[in-house]
Amino acid sequence: MRKHLLAASAAALILGAPALADKGGGGHGNGGGQAAHADRSNGGNGGGQAMRAERGGGGNGGGHQMRQADNAGRAFRTERQPRGRPTFAAATGHDRGQGHANREVIHAERVQGRERQVALRELRGHSRAIEVRDANGIESLRVASRGFANDFGRGRGLIDGCPPGLAKKDNGCLPPGQANKLLGARLQQSFASSLLPYQYRSWYRDDPNYLYRSGDGYIYQVSRSTGIVDGLIPLFGNGDYYSVGQAWPDPYNFYNVPYQYRSYYPDTSDYAYRYGDGAIYRVNSGTGLVDSIVALLAGDLGVGSPLPVGYDVYNVPFSYRDRYYDTADNWYRYNDGYIYQVNPQTRLITAVINAIV
Amino acid sequence: MRIALTLLAAASTLAVTACGPATDKASAPKSEAARDAAGDKTIAGSFGGDDSKFADAAKATGLDATLAGPGPYTVLIPSNAAFDKLPAGELDTLMKPDSRAKLTKLLTAHILPGEILAADIAKAIDNGKGKARLATFGGGTLTATRDGDHIILTDAAGGKAVITSSDQKMSNGVVHHLDGVLAPG
Repeated sequence: MRKHLLAASAAALILGAPALADKGGGGHGNGGGQAAHADRSNGGNGGGQAMRAERGGGGNGGGHQMRQADNAGRAFRTERQPRGRPTFAAATGHDRGQGHANREVIHAERVQGRERQVALRELRGHSRAIEVRDANGIESLRVASRGFANDFGRGRGLIDGCPPGLAKKDNGCLPPGQANKLLGARLQQSFASSLLPYQYRSWYRDDPNYLYRSGDGYIYQVSRSTGIVDGLIPLFGNGDYYSVGQAWPDPYNFYNVPYQYRSYYPDTSDYAYRYGDGAIYRVNSGTGLVDSIVALLAGDLGVGSPLPVGYDVYNVPFSYRDRYYDTADNWYRYNDGYIYQVNPQTRLITAVINAIV
Repeated sequence: MRIALTLLAAASTLAVTACGPATDKASAPKSEAARDAAGDKTIAGSFGGDDSKFADAAKATGLDATLAGPGPYTVLIPSNAAFDKLPAGELDTLMKPDSRAKLTKLLTAHILPGEILAADIAKAIDNGKGKARLATFGGGTLTATRDGDHIILTDAAGGKAVITSSDQKMSNGVVHHLDGVLAPG
C-alpha cells in the first residue's frame, strides 16, 4: 500500500486547489459481505482468529449480522420542509474542526510517468498517518516522513477538507444553511462510490433500505428506493460536543445511532437518540433540546487504518481479556463497542473481531 | 477498592492479564472471575466522597448519563482538592450554563475508551521506552510516565497529574483518581 510513498511525495507539488472530487463508478463496490460481526448474544464464539472478521476494503456492504433496530423514525421532526438553519450553529457559534482538525492538501505526484492529483488527509490522532484519496475514493494509507505538517506545510492545506473559513462552520465545508439543501436531493454523483472513512464502516452499513456514502465532511444516508439523501451525519468531533440545553440541529435529526449501540438507545415517546460529533445524545422529543450525553465515541479505529498513537495501552474490557490479550503476533484494542486486532509489526488494524456492547 | 499503585503490583497483575502466549483460552467463555471483579455499581453510581466536584460537573454537562451507561470507559477523576487548585473562580465559571461546552470538553479529557488498569499503563510505559500515550474523548492525548512508584499523566499543555489511587472497577469501566485537573488536548 505504500509503494507510492515518500519518494513521489518528495518531488510533489502542493497546490492550493479545491478538494479533489470523487467520481462515480470507480469500482469501489460496497457489497463487502465479509463484514459480519459477532454480537454479544453469540457468546463464546471462539478465539479472535476464528471469529468472523471484517477485512480492510470490505466496504459498507451487507452480510453483517449486527442487531439492527428498525428505528428510522423521526421522533420530533415531523415535516421535512420547510427546514430552518442548523439551530446549533446559530445558537452557539463555537468552532468545530478547529485546532485538532484533520488537515488535507491536494497533492500532485508522478506515478509511472503520469502526473495525477490525490487528496492527502491527516488522520485524526496520527501525526504521520495520511489517508490518500484519488478520483475513485480512498486509495491507500501512507506515512509522512516528518509528520503531516512538516511534509506538507502547516496552513497550506485544507481543514477537515474545507477552506479555512468554512472549516469553522458546524456543517462541513458548506456555508451556513447549505446543508439543508442536501437533504431531499439526489446524492451528488461524485459521492456515489465514496466509501465511508475506515473508522465509520462498522457504524453504518448498507442495509435493505439505505446506502451510506461520504463526502465533504458528511455521511449521507441515501434511500435505496429513491436515491434521495434522507439523512446527514456530520463528520466532526475532536472533543467539541453539543451541550445540554442546546437545540438539536434539524438537518441532523433522524435516527442515526451507530448500529452497535442501537439496542441500547431506541427512540421512545419521550426521547430521541441522535449521534453527532463524537457522542450519542438524548434529545427531549418535546423540546428538541439536548437532555444528556449518553455515550462517547472516539471514532479512532477502523480496519485497514494504522493504530493511532493514543492507543499504546491495552484497553480491552475485563470480561474479554481472557480471550483477547496481546501476544507477539496480535494486539487487541477496544474502541466504540468493538474489539480490534492489530498487527504489532505494522501497527495496522487488521480485523474487527467482536462487537461487545 | 482504592489501592495506591506500585510498579511491583502492576507487574504482577500484568502477568495474569494482558499478555502471554496464545492458548486454548481463546475459546473459553467470558471469565466469571473477571466479571465478578467488576462492581455492581456504574461509574456514575459510585460517586460520593472526594469526587463530588467531578460528579457535579458530570451532572451539569449531562455526562452522568454516559457514566451510567454501558461503557466501558476509563475515567480519571480529579479529587476535590485538585479542582481547588484551579485558578480562583474558574470552576464556578465553568459550572455556569453558558460554559457547558468548555466544561464538557474538560471532563471528556478525563475519559478514555475501554478499560485500562494501572498495570496496563505501566506495561505500555515500559514498552514505550519510558512513556505511553492515551487518547481521550476530549480529542487530545495524554502522556503517561513514571515517577518512582507513581504514574504521572501529562496533558498537551504540559500540565501534570499523579494517579493517587487506581483500579476501582465498576460495572461499566474503571476509575483512577488524580491529584490534578488535566487540560483538554
